[in-house]
Amino acid sequence: MRHARIIFDGRELDIDIDTNDRITTSGGEVLDVALDSDDITWLPPVKEPGTIFALGLNYADHATELSFEPPKEPLVFIKHANTLTGHRQVSYRPDNIEFQHYECELVAVIGKAGKNIKREDAMDYVAGYTVCNDFAIRDYLENYYRPNLRVKSRDSLLPMGPWIVDREDVADVNNLRLTTEVNGKITQDGSTSDMIFDVPFLVEYLSKIMTLNPGDMIATGTPHGVVDMQPGDTVICTIENICSLETRIVSEKEYYGDKY
Amino acid sequence: MTANTLVHSKLICVALNDKSQLAALEGTFNEAPYKKPPTQPVLYYKPRNTWNVDGAEVEWAKDFDGNDVQAMAVGASLGVVIGRETCRVSQAEALDYVRGYTIVSDFSLPEENYFRPDIKGKCLDTSAPVGPEVVPADTIANPDALTVTIRVNDEQKSAIALADMKRSVAELISTISWIMTLQPGEIIAVGFAGDRVPVTRGDRVEATIEGVGTLTNTLGGA
Repeated sequence: MRHARIIFDGRELDIDIDTNDRITTSGGEVLDVALDSDDITWLPPVKEPGTIFALGLNYADHATELSFEPPKEPLVFIKHANTLTGHRQVSYRPDNIEFQHYECELVAVIGKAGKNIKREDAMDYVAGYTVCNDFAIRDYLENYYRPNLRVKSRDSLLPMGPWIVDREDVADVNNLRLTTEVNGKITQDGSTSDMIFDVPFLVEYLSKIMTLNPGDMIATGTPHGVVDMQPGDTVICTIENICSLETRIVSEKEYYGDKY
Repeated sequence: MTANTLVHSKLICVALNDKSQLAALEGTFNEAPYKKPPTQPVLYYKPRNTWNVDGAEVEWAKDFDGNDVQAMAVGASLGVVIGRETCRVSQAEALDYVRGYTIVSDFSLPEENYFRPDIKGKCLDTSAPVGPEVVPADTIANPDALTVTIRVNDEQKSAIALADMKRSVAELISTISWIMTLQPGEIIAVGFAGDRVPVTRGDRVEATIEGVGTLTNTLGGA
């Protein structure tokens, strides 16, 4: 089963989507609308977002691309809900920068609380998976708590969704094709099998430091192939058997409007 | 996660805002991996598992083998509580968005460097007490004139005047609000003394700001 949050017909709804793409609300109502309908506004799929962990350099080829040695220990940083936006929504590109890139990532959504979780038990704590696009503004990198909040924690720069797929519906999360298309052209083509630290490792690692809670999310890093994004570009991040996440880039002025 | 925490949604801390600390580290910051001193506020989050309240125990941390860590340290800061949605505000108007002030203690492992996000050192369960209450903004004439003191077992260990911070409260609110939109109840801890105070199991730690209150916590594991 897949789970999402949408606005439809003026209502904010928690929905389930079955294998026939039939949509049912949490109240049991069946919605007569197709998944690709423009009448659906997709919200970030985690209803009460908790701590969002993101991994830097978790694919060896991406580390090489950015001239880094692959890490011996996970490079983890934290983001917050202000960064989240939904499928087919917009993200903004700040003015006067040189390099903003997407990062297509598998996200593990935590379903129950735990501390000191063992690797062999880790999957019991994962409710399901979704896809995120962890945009970065590389111009703003400074070597302090790198990647710092100015690079990674900006409003709208973490599109996520459209839905969460139940864990048990994904046969082998460690062997899924991951692709990114910019304006229809594939720019990133990798596999979750190339992760340095896999989901069970990350659950064990993080839960040794801190309690994980339902609604926490672990964004697991991106492979080689990041390119610059410009206003007007459309980027689609896809992980097979999970979902495809589409985002349009707009200018800072278009995004902030009166606040520009 | 502790119930009744004063924090809503996020607790942002500002590191390296102590002018004397920055001066002491200037040589280090010109070398690898930093290569140059910071040009922007250095920010980190204390996530929700860290949030705690006045009077509560702070857990003594364990290492990856499950043994008690050798050392922990504490800093304390003025906590600025946001009162309404704060998006891209100027320094001049920044304080108009403040609902009130509180105190934030930040219990951590001793800091080894500022290069990578210090998840292991700073995300410890119950390590961010906030309180004892939120005093209304209009009771504090000038937040940059306050002094934050730390007492451990009734002995004063640290005092830092916010006047000695590189960036003022208003400047920080403004700068952060251009990175991210802040929501009511979110808190910014505006800066800590560079020298964190070492603590040990069973210690009683009191962080005090005159006019804001005293936040008292004890360390577990005694």
